[in-house]
Amino acid sequence: MRSTFMGLETSKRGLYTQQSALYTTGHNIGNANTPGYSRQRVNMEATSGFPGVGINAGTMPGFLGTGVQAGSIQRIRDSFVDHQYRSESTKLGYWESRTNAIAQMEDVIGEPSEFGLQQSMSDFWQSLQTLAANPENGGARAVVVERGVSVAETFGYIHKSVSEIKGNLNDEIEFSATKIESLLSQIGELNKQIATVEPNGYLPNDLYDARDGLLDQLSSYLPIETSYEKTGGRAPAIAEGIVTIKIKTNEPGKTITVLEKDNAAKLTIDRTTSADYPNSITGFTFSSESITDPEGQLAVKDMVKSGELRSLVESHGYMEDGKEKGLYPEMLAKLDKMASEFAREFNAVHTGDINGTPPSYASDSEGKQGQPFFVVIEGTTFSASNIKVNSVIKDNPNKVAASNSRPIATADGTPIPPTVDSDGNPVVGNPEVGNGKNAKLLGDVFFKKLPGLGGSSVQGFYAQTIGQLGVEGQQAIKMTESSGTLLLSVSNRRDSISSVSLDEEMTDMIRFQQAYNASARMITVMDEALDKIINGMGIAGR
Amino acid sequence: MRVTQSMLSQNMLRNLSSSYNNMGKLQEQLNTGKKVTRPSDDPVVVMKGMGYGMQVDKVEQYQKNMGEVNNWLDSSDDALDGVGSVLLRMKELATNASNTGAMGENERKAIEAEINQLREHVRDLANTKVGDKHIFSGSMTDKPLFNKETGFETGKSFGEKVEIEVFDGVSLRVSTDASKMFKEIDEMLEKVGGMTATGVGFSEMITDIDKKMDNVLSNRADIGARSNRAELMSNRLEMQEGAAKKQRSQNEDVDYEKTITDLITSESIHRATLSVGARIMQPSLMDFLR
Repeated sequence: MRSTFMGLETSKRGLYTQQSALYTTGHNIGNANTPGYSRQRVNMEATSGFPGVGINAGTMPGFLGTGVQAGSIQRIRDSFVDHQYRSESTKLGYWESRTNAIAQMEDVIGEPSEFGLQQSMSDFWQSLQTLAANPENGGARAVVVERGVSVAETFGYIHKSVSEIKGNLNDEIEFSATKIESLLSQIGELNKQIATVEPNGYLPNDLYDARDGLLDQLSSYLPIETSYEKTGGRAPAIAEGIVTIKIKTNEPGKTITVLEKDNAAKLTIDRTTSADYPNSITGFTFSSESITDPEGQLAVKDMVKSGELRSLVESHGYMEDGKEKGLYPEMLAKLDKMASEFAREFNAVHTGDINGTPPSYASDSEGKQGQPFFVVIEGTTFSASNIKVNSVIKDNPNKVAASNSRPIATADGTPIPPTVDSDGNPVVGNPEVGNGKNAKLLGDVFFKKLPGLGGSSVQGFYAQTIGQLGVEGQQAIKMTESSGTLLLSVSNRRDSISSVSLDEEMTDMIRFQQAYNASARMITVMDEALDKIINGMGIAGR
Repeated sequence: MRVTQSMLSQNMLRNLSSSYNNMGKLQEQLNTGKKVTRPSDDPVVVMKGMGYGMQVDKVEQYQKNMGEVNNWLDSSDDALDGVGSVLLRMKELATNASNTGAMGENERKAIEAEINQLREHVRDLANTKVGDKHIFSGSMTDKPLFNKETGFETGKSFGEKVEIEVFDGVSLRVSTDASKMFKEIDEMLEKVGGMTATGVGFSEMITDIDKKMDNVLSNRADIGARSNRAELMSNRLEMQEGAAKKQRSQNEDVDYEKTITDLITSESIHRATLSVGARIMQPSLMDFLR
């Protein structure tokens, strides 16, 4: 037999449930602009009918509905789209960082411009040509020296700037490592909270959102794999559980566990101790006392070519096969090679070779043999950072060996005795002030094919280097654009599923409000019915 | 697909920023006049541009060198012209002097004085300077060909050729090896000066003078030929300059008509984005609920 007040109870449940739905609508509207917020929905379900089944249950001709209840409050989200989003975000992280690194390099190299190495080499060549036409002119000599200084300084400046950015990239890698650690421990902390809430039968939607936001951030640094584990207790079936994060590697089947429950791994950067490449990066180690997977070593060669961390390492440089590879080290190596080959060849022409076959002569305006035009700042090997104009020549531009006459004395003044050529004719040196033939040869060095530069000229090698940088930059920009577009479309899909639509919330608001009002009206109807029973019945004949 | 307000506003923001980006790029192109400002804009254009730029610089330098060449050749020609005039005057004087009957001692003295002056003049011509170089001294441009103490220089370096590069691998000889000629003329003048005392031997001298004149003329012809070649090279350089600059310009310079049209197009797209965005984002259901 039903209760007299059952109708009131049914309507009350209706009131409460519609109210919950209205509150949730308000929550959604309030968070319409919260980044990472997923809209929530009250899963309404009909309460079980009357009467309940049992031996003593009364029989009646129907199973009477008892109203509604809020089963759960769930966020609307598609974990498959999240997965896609993260995989695109890893790609974008890689290309975006690479684009940045190349753009910075382009900035300091400064081609094409009036201030680049190309222009300073061109100026140097022009000054040598002017000297070749006016070898007796002290001004022309001084200009050659100054332009030579400018070439050496430009090499030095570019090298220094590129090295500085390389240093900044190192800081960025360290910062990223700290950021990754912090993200992992934050996610671990959320795991812990979720594990406390879920067994009580609740869905901590806002914690899920926060965790997904952090996972999104983490995914731009590293290619991650996530798996979820139920928390047990009275956790609802749709509860997400706690997340375990693994990093993908190139090694087939190998992943590195970096977060389990609330145990986040610490990240250390592995560096070489070799004297040639101090502090060059070899890989990373993820270590944690409590994570069961001990294989936390990630060598650079095993890193998937995706994610900002990998890109930073590639830009900054890393050790492989005993050499430092990467964008910046390779550019530095090219600059060094170019500077040293150029300086060596230029010096060879500038000093001449008296005993060579055939001999080549180079002498300054006093008839002394030319001395090396470029010298090292310290040590023994030329490099882009270690090149300057010989200070003797800088102080006295007459020492520029513009002449190709046979020198009468070595650079330090020791007389060079005359000799005889193969026909027996005497070969006597003579200071020739008006001889500018060697200056022309010095200018030709720029266009001479040098075996040390793989058969290219200095000019050609530099153009190639710039061209290659440009091609890599262009590719990075294109890839950034395309992965950005993909990420955008995935992000749009995600928004389409999860983001708050005000129109929809308004509609819901009206729906829930009307249902609320109707439930209230039902209570009034019940009230009238009860009024009839209580006040209107049992007074027959009064 | 479900579309929400935040998607619309985000998309609009993104579209706006990409259209700003586009306009910024076009504006930069218009401001600099160059299609590319960094290698990644277009690696091929930048790489080619470096080569073309070098080519333009080279041609410019070769044109400067060409000025130097013309200086040398013109001055050499002028100097040899002077030598020619001296020889012509010499011939006149020798012809007069050989007419022994009409010549008194005073007249011969006057001739001797003039010949001495001519001799000085030839020595000055041998030491012709262009700027700070003696153009007849071979590689020894800092030293005069005629040394007041030791006479005419004969060292090997004084006969050394001076060449100036006027194009890739093309050098023009600008020096004229006239040291021997100057020396012989000087010696001849000395001899003639000695004859004035007696007045004997002038008529034989005239043939000698003719020979020297031939010598001067052939040197001048050589200079003339080289001047012609220099002129040809000048023309070629001018053509090269035009070609190199045109190549460079076609490679990297902005096509203004096209870029301005592009700018106007993207400007109107930008306006459309703004106005559409304003229209779409403004109303929501709220505006129609009471």
